[in-house]
Amino acid sequence: MGFYSDQFHQLNGELYPKEYLTRQLIQARHFMEVHFADNMSLAGFAREACLSKFHFIRLFKTYYGYTPHQHLISVRIREARKLLSANQPVATVCAQCGFESIPSFTALFKRSTGLTPAAFREQAQKSNNR
Amino acid sequence: MKITVTSILVDDQQKALQFYTAILGFVKKREVPLGEYSWLTVVSKEEQEGVELLLEPMAFAPARVYQRALFDAGIPLTSFSVDDIDKEYERLLRAGVTFSMPPTPMGPVKVAVLDDTCGNNIQLSQML
Repeated sequence: MGFYSDQFHQLNGELYPKEYLTRQLIQARHFMEVHFADNMSLAGFAREACLSKFHFIRLFKTYYGYTPHQHLISVRIREARKLLSANQPVATVCAQCGFESIPSFTALFKRSTGLTPAAFREQAQKSNNR
Repeated sequence: MKITVTSILVDDQQKALQFYTAILGFVKKREVPLGEYSWLTVVSKEEQEGVELLLEPMAFAPARVYQRALFDAGIPLTSFSVDDIDKEYERLLRAGVTFSMPPTPMGPVKVAVLDDTCGNNIQLSQML
């Protein structure tokens, strides 16, 4: 066993002693990956993890380093990029990815990618046609 | 400001290029001759416009000491993410790659550590 391996196993035991909690959080994260467009509240995702909303948010942030809300937005943006790259209309992408409105979709998308959805779609088309 | 390039130290650039492309599956992006060495980068096949990994020659002697110390302690120099670590592990084992740590869960992540044959431990990780 080397230094790194020893540290790894020691930290694993210290940081994640309750395997059932790890399983519940992983299950909730997978659920979010599938149901990101379902307009489900964080309380709903917390129920998937069999945790209260506040316990879920706190543990999720501890385990993954970002909040469940940030993760949900990130998944929606990732899916939106795929659909826009496939030349889907902005309004369709907005609805299919679970964003509340086009202005909120535009703001969140621009914050993440530096481009509006329309500009991203246009750039993707130019790139695809090259 | 954007992160466009990150680097790893390698003991032989051409050997590294072979390992990182033919074995790991990256794609060569640039090779610009710079005297004895070259500005040699690879990118992920799935994100060819993404961050470039510079295979940096060890022309600076103290770098060898640093690299050797990390390697001997089993510490990965960097980490790459994969979608299915168990599948990658099996594929790389078949390709003759040596692992100092097989896929091992740590809370919400599973990691493995391989020898890149260029003096580095490289960590693969999958978010669970």
